[in-house]
Amino acid sequence: MSSFRLWALRVKLTMNSFLRLLYRDLKAGIWSTKSMIAMQLVSPLFYIFVAGFAYGAVIPAMEIDGREVSYVLFLAPGIIVMQIMFAASIAGAMLWLDKRLAMFAQILMGPFSRWQYILSKIVSIMAQGLLNAFLVFVIASPLLVGLSVTFGGVMYIVGSLILGSLFFGSLTLAISVFIKSNEAFNALFNIMFTPLMFLSSVYYPLQNAPWIIQAASMVNPLTYAADMLRAGLLGVYNPLLQIEVVVLVVESVIVFVAATLAFKRVKA
Amino acid sequence: MAPVIVAKDLTKNYGKLSAVDHVSFEVHKGEVFGFLGPNGAGKTTTIKMLTTLLRPTSGSATVLGFDVVSESGKIRPKIGVVQQEPSYELALSVEDNLDLYGFMWNMPKKERKARTELLLDKFGLTDARKTSPPELSVGQRRRLQVAREFMHDSELMFLDEPTIGLDPQARRVTLDYVREKVEQGTTVFFTTHVMEEAEYICDRIAIIDHGRILASDTIDNIKRKFGRVSVIHLRVKEDIDGLLKKLEKLPTVENVIYPSKQDEPLKVYSQNVDTVLPHVIELIASLGLHITDLRIKEPSLEDVFIQIVGSKGEANDE
Repeated sequence: MSSFRLWALRVKLTMNSFLRLLYRDLKAGIWSTKSMIAMQLVSPLFYIFVAGFAYGAVIPAMEIDGREVSYVLFLAPGIIVMQIMFAASIAGAMLWLDKRLAMFAQILMGPFSRWQYILSKIVSIMAQGLLNAFLVFVIASPLLVGLSVTFGGVMYIVGSLILGSLFFGSLTLAISVFIKSNEAFNALFNIMFTPLMFLSSVYYPLQNAPWIIQAASMVNPLTYAADMLRAGLLGVYNPLLQIEVVVLVVESVIVFVAATLAFKRVKA
Repeated sequence: MAPVIVAKDLTKNYGKLSAVDHVSFEVHKGEVFGFLGPNGAGKTTTIKMLTTLLRPTSGSATVLGFDVVSESGKIRPKIGVVQQEPSYELALSVEDNLDLYGFMWNMPKKERKARTELLLDKFGLTDARKTSPPELSVGQRRRLQVAREFMHDSELMFLDEPTIGLDPQARRVTLDYVREKVEQGTTVFFTTHVMEEAEYICDRIAIIDHGRILASDTIDNIKRKFGRVSVIHLRVKEDIDGLLKKLEKLPTVENVIYPSKQDEPLKVYSQNVDTVLPHVIELIASLGLHITDLRIKEPSLEDVFIQIVGSKGEANDE
């Protein structure tokens, strides 16, 4: 057999194992937590339907990068992008559960590698994040009058959700490697998510915020993911958007590599 | 025929502690090899190294002809492992657990369905097929875990105390199914605490304690080699107070155990029963007592096991 065919066969087998692990995550992990997914939709819909319109009544339409945008329209992309962050926390819990139920060891003693395991987790996080984001978008869409999506915009939408999933999925997996109990896991994520949400451009435009908040937001990947999604959905492109995309790519790759390295330490 | 497992000076250290200490053994194709030892002896650590989960500190091992460190990816698709720890998909029903595991092992749908039905029936889980693990009894969960590993065919099975939590009937069904698979060509590496179980299923055994193998051979040979003490079981019609001390003083008697319950016999342990038996009978007659029952028992595997590893009983968890 030629070396190319051998290589192709190896790729096929690797993909096959990876897809099987992914199916397992979707069936035994995410599908079984469908009630949790439903509950996760309640909070963002409240933000958009209640907070968005209540604040919108007192906050006048604002000019964002040359376009006049209502508050609810500004808020919605931020809330949608937050869904991938919350989905990542569930995936981290899935790894923790796999360790507790010895399924992690069971899988690694089967025809799978650690690399395939972590990749399947990242992709299942993406799937769940995209599903949550899509559901929030679909439910809220009748109220989101004024969306302006172009072909280029779709690229930003997809990029935002994929990079956001990669970043937060990797971050959650890396952290769950070191966490010993479910309680510690939940407590850490509650502590971590609050500053991530508020020190970003999710709830408000940053240009009028105090400089310290602006500085903190500029290292927060949620800011970049929200700005990208906003650009994609509303057609508002801030002058630093291209740089933000590059920074988000770099941050996501760094965290993914860190998660992969941390994962080598996990005792099965 | 090349051995299925070859371990040479296999060692695993955790800091200064040697969990497995220069262990060497071979397992041959189509046999059930029992790895017996108290808690913390190094059984599970050895399995984790052989199943490529743990990297040995030193020494080497090959499984199915492949090195456990450099060729681990070639070993894993050919083996099956029932871990000592409970392991299953928490949110799925019994039948979905089996089906998903078969899917992960790349089994076609039709084959998965047929194998699921077979295993549900074999392991007495048909009535619980729609139930998820949290609602099962401990024994049912263990049966599910063992059954799941038989979804796919493997050349070599590692069964780490597979009968923990099973009632005698389920234990027998499990062991018989393992034997059935062995007759079809599977090799089994089996650990247990239950010596009757090892006697029932194992072709050869190794006894391990504190990370070192103390004996390795067929059960009969080990009994012959180490089972130097036989036991006389004795029942006397009258009260036997005072007999105990006199029996202990007889030549070659190692120990005398007074019955703790009314229907239990008096037990006299000796290295040389042939020599001591006439003395015992003579002593009892001289005291005016009447023997109602007398049997000579050969040492069981449990007697030999305790003799080899000592009777400390207490050990650390692995």
